[in-house]
Parts: sequence; C-alpha cells; structure tokens
Amino acid sequence: MQGRRHAPPWWFTLPALLLFAFVVLLPSARGLHYAVTDWDGLNPDFTVVGLDNFTAMADDPDAFGAVRHTLVVAVAITVLQNGLGLLLALGVNSAIKSRDVLRVLLFAPAMIAQIVTAYLWRNLLGPDGAVNSALGAIGLGGLRRDWLGDPDLALWMIVLVVVWQYAGYSMVIFLAGLQSVPKEIYEAAAIDGTGPVRRFWSIIRPLLAPALTINLMLSIIGGLKLFDQVYAMTGGGPGHATDTISTLIYKEAFTLGEFGYSIALAVVLTVIVAVASGAQYTVLSRGERAAS
Amino acid sequence: MKSRTALIAAFAAVTMTVTACNGGTNAAAEGDGTTLTIASVDQGSIEKVVDAFKAANPGVTVNLTTSGADQYQQQIRTQLASGTAPDVMTVWPGNGNPGATYVIAKPGYLLDLSGQPWAARLPDAFQRVAQYEGRTYNAVFGLNGIGAVYNDRALRDSGLTAPGTWTELLAFCRAADGRGTPAFALGIQDNWVTQLVLYALAATVVYGADPGFDAKLQAGRATFANSAWTTAMAKYRQLADAGCFQDNPLGTSYEASQTLAATGKTLGIIQGNWIISLLKRKDPAGTYTMRALPATDDPASFVMPAAAGAGYGVNAKAKNRDLALRFITFVMSPEGMKLFTETQGSLPTLPDAGTAVDPGLAELQTFVREDRTVPFMDQLWPNAKVQQTMLSGLQEVFSDQATPADVLTDMDTDYKAGS
Repeated sequence: MQGRRHAPPWWFTLPALLLFAFVVLLPSARGLHYAVTDWDGLNPDFTVVGLDNFTAMADDPDAFGAVRHTLVVAVAITVLQNGLGLLLALGVNSAIKSRDVLRVLLFAPAMIAQIVTAYLWRNLLGPDGAVNSALGAIGLGGLRRDWLGDPDLALWMIVLVVVWQYAGYSMVIFLAGLQSVPKEIYEAAAIDGTGPVRRFWSIIRPLLAPALTINLMLSIIGGLKLFDQVYAMTGGGPGHATDTISTLIYKEAFTLGEFGYSIALAVVLTVIVAVASGAQYTVLSRGERAAS
Repeated sequence: MKSRTALIAAFAAVTMTVTACNGGTNAAAEGDGTTLTIASVDQGSIEKVVDAFKAANPGVTVNLTTSGADQYQQQIRTQLASGTAPDVMTVWPGNGNPGATYVIAKPGYLLDLSGQPWAARLPDAFQRVAQYEGRTYNAVFGLNGIGAVYNDRALRDSGLTAPGTWTELLAFCRAADGRGTPAFALGIQDNWVTQLVLYALAATVVYGADPGFDAKLQAGRATFANSAWTTAMAKYRQLADAGCFQDNPLGTSYEASQTLAATGKTLGIIQGNWIISLLKRKDPAGTYTMRALPATDDPASFVMPAAAGAGYGVNAKAKNRDLALRFITFVMSPEGMKLFTETQGSLPTLPDAGTAVDPGLAELQTFVREDRTVPFMDQLWPNAKVQQTMLSGLQEVFSDQATPADVLTDMDTDYKAGS
C-alpha cells in the first residue's frame, strides 16, 4: 500500500510520450502515407497509387544497384572498421610510452564532421591529388589511378575513407572493454604460460563480447545509412556506380521530384536496417550469453 | 478522473500545437512592408544588385540567401511546400529541373507577372520559357551560351590557333595533346558538366540540320536514339579519343577544371559564358575568348546553344508582395539588368539595358544577333528525369559502363514517360 502511494502517476510519462508521438510517430505515419502516393513534394494535389512505388522498384535497375552497393558497403565497413579498431585497441592497450598520444590521434578523425573529411579525401584522391603525387614521388607512379572516377574503385575508396574515419571510434569502445578485464586474469594466464593467441581467444574475446556487440551494431547501421561521404566524394557516380539507397532517396526526392517513390525507398531502407540490426542483435546477444 | 483530465489537457495542447503549425504553413503572414526576403543561386552577382536596390529604396531591408543550385533546389521546394519560401526566388526557365518555371508555376506557387511592363517586351524565345500556360512567371534578365572558351595567353604560347572546322578541331586536339597541354579541361566528376560538350555539338549536328527537331520529339515523330543525337554522341567520344581533354575527366571536379583552364594547363574549356568571370577570379590578368565549338566542316552551319539563364519569380504568398514586385521591376530595368549581366558576364534579355559585354563574348553576341542559336536542350523536355538520365549516362559512357546508344534509349524511355 505504501509503495502504491509513492508510485508516480502513469500520466507523468504523457508529455514525453506525446512529444515522441508528435515528432517521431506522426511524421513516420505520414511518411508511410506518402510512400503510397505519387506526390512530387510540391504539388498539394496528389493521388494514392497503392503499392505502385514498391512494384516500380522491381523494374528499377538503379534501385537494385543501390541496394547491392549498400549491402556491400555495410558489410565491408563493418568487417574492416571493427577488425582495424580491434587491432588498434590491442596496440594502444599495451605498455608502450606513446599510447596516450596514439589514442588521441587515432580517435581524432571520428571527431571531424563527415562532410569535411569527405571533401578532404575527394581532393586527396583526385587525379592530381596528394595520393597520386605521393605514389609518383616514391617511385610507384604505375599505381596512380583515377581513384574516384573509376567505377571499379570508387565504392572501395569510400569504404576506406569511412574505415579510416571510424576505426578509431571502434578502437575506443574496444579499449574500454579491454580495460575492464582484470589484470589478475592476465597475470594468471601468464603464469599458466598461455600464448598471445590463446590468451586473446580464451580470455579477451569473451570479455569483449559486449563491446563487439555495440561496435557491430553501430557500424552495420551506419554502413546501411551511408550518405554524406558518398554524396560529397562521388555524388553516387560515375553514373550510378556508388549510389547507395540513401543517395538514391535524396536524388529521387530533391533532383527528380519523385517524393512518393523516394519515401517508398526510405521505407525499404528502414526495413533493411531493422531486419539486419535485429538479426545481428539476436545472434550477438546469444553469443554474449554463451561467453558469460 | 484527474488522470483523464490531464490526458485530455495534454491531448488538447498537442492538437493545438499541430493546428498552429498547420496554420503557419498555409497562411501567408503579412509582412512589414520594408523587409524583402530573397533566395538566389547568383552567388557573386546578385549582391551588387541588392546593394543598388537598397540605395534606390532607402529604409528597405533585404534578407538575401545564396546557395549552389543543388542545395537551392532542395531547399526552395521544401520551403514552398511548407509555406516558408522567401518573397523573391531564383526560378529556371522552362521545364526539366526541380526549380524550373513550369514545375513551380503549375501548382500555383508563383505570382503571375504578365502585367509587369517588361513582360510583353521579352523576345519570343524568352517568353516561351518564362511563361506557363500563356502567363509570365519568370523575370529572365540574362542570356547564356555554351561554346569553346579559350585561354588567350595559353593559346598564344602554344603557337596554335583556335580551330574553325571539325577536322581542324581534331587536329588541334592532337597537336595540343602532343605539346603536353590538352586542348580543353573537362570536369565531369560534377555530373551537370557532362552535358555541355554534348549540347555544344548537338546544337549544330541536331538543330542546325533540323530546327524543328523538338517539335517532332514532342509529337512522338522523332526519338533521341534514331536521330542525329547519335552523331553528337559519337563526336563527343571522338573528341575524347583525339585527346581533346585532360587525363581522368571523371575524377576532375568543375572547380578543378576551372583551375586547369585558368592556369594554362589546358588551352581552354568547353563551358557556358559564366565561366569567364570565374576564370578571371582565378587569374585576374587572364583574357578569354568564347567561340562556337566546331561540329562540322561547314562553319556556316554552326549553331550555338544559347538560352535564358535563371531568372527571378515572386512567391504567390509573398509577405511583402509590393516590395517583391519593386525588386523584380528593378532587376528588369536598364540599370538593374546592366548591373546584373555585367557582373555575371551574361547578355541582357532586353535590348535597351546598355550592358558592356565582355569582348570575349563577341562571337556569342553575333550568333544571337543572327538567330543562330538554340535553347539549352533540356529546357523543353517534359521532366527532370530525361536530363538526369543523360547526365549519369554520360558518366557511364566515359567509364565504359554504358554505350551512347544505351543512354539515348534510356532518354527516350524517360521522355515518353513524362510527356
């Protein structure tokens, strides 16, 4: 009875719930509505076209390409960013003297706005940019390329730039996980004569499971929603060689005035993100439980 | 009971907020009569016009925002749809892009300017793209052309002379390439640039031979894929194969291409006349001459793409409508037009502006005077998709992802879907 008297009234949550409904649920519901219309973003008169926008995607090679690029980019970024992030974390978790400086330097790119780094790398990777100049200067002129103008390379250049920027971010999360491992465990393992590989696999990996879950979730969602770097570095080109679902959504809405179709694409992206992150979370949380 | 009252109160508060927001988007609030809002893409040229307008109208405040075309088109559509658009805004002529006259006038977002004194004086070619269903919505103040813009000093230093025929053009490119200074800078990493060389070639190859081609296209009696557009595409490739452009044009941005042309790393650039003022910013001592890009061996057949540039429209729900109309009148007056076109490097659309045209544009002026021009091809296409397909398609052609025939076929599909 005492507890009941002190429990806050349920309607205390109402302002937050209503705000959430107003700024999130209502626009989302309206978005779903627009996804089944032929709205051009400007004309107040539009008609409901049912699932036409979704069926049109089946005949749209640009949409297929964008989905393929999005999945490739998301997987590549997730694997490379976390692999590199883990290696960096292991490196700067050691007793080397300059580790504090290295931690700051490696984390620094993640603090810069994506659009800034994207324009920076667009210039560095240009035909007369610093990357080609450096290759020429060290006698590797044969490797000079039009890095962002080559449809076979451009998407991978974007992946590398994202990995360069956010590997330090993953590193910090892994580092927090590594530092939560009690020293005594390392000491016990050392006394038992455990090698570094065995130590990593049997001791560090299970204890890093929560950090791995967070990192993988963040990078897969970030990879699936990738926009800024692509738009600033290549604009989705050459042609559509680097278009992701996000850049296609932007182009359909703001360049072509196909808002209905664009929002339908956004719905598809939302479903892909929800399914991918949900599946990943299920698998990883099962792994965490098994490791603990 | 108290809970229910609170719930109702909270619901009412949110409903009122939503209603208030809706009211804000639909209702045009009254302005103060002295503050004009303008959104423009004329970066670097409208500022002088605004200063002159303020000097002529003491007490008037102008809130001006300028931005690049892509960003602007995104922003203005959102502002119009939400009722927050400025009083005066950049509007492109004709159709074919998201900020064009037909696109914005059709749903009723632009004020009818037909009654303005300058509207009836616009030459027919400009009226056609400044009007929607016979009413004028766009104060088109300047005309732009596309051609080969030569860096006079670089050309002189190379010992070469500007080519006068197609055969000479190919020889010129080979000779320039052989000297280590390519003929033209091409920055097609920014995909809107891809169209310019094609338009310069199509003007002569397609429209020089058949001035009524657009009418045939609109009537369904012609297609891109089965027309002289295939020749124009082929000649574009021939230019690339002859070494007319620097290495890696797909990795070269518009900005970088300007640097190449202004610093003499190429002998010129195939662009619109607006490039001259941008090149002069990079090298104030430089002089530049625009010439028609040869597309055949008969110079008498040459036609240049030349058309109305972006103009200004008035928001149908302008807060300060009178002030907006006063600004438009100023832009279209001899004083305003002269100031605008001289700063921008364009030609005036009305004959009495008295603009001192850059000497490098003499040939463009001659072509305009002799009626040997054709509007930019996209201005009368039925939707923005045809142009976008062409732009990305040309990037695909240059990166061997598609053939010119593929691109033209796709353009036909988009044209038919929108007509």
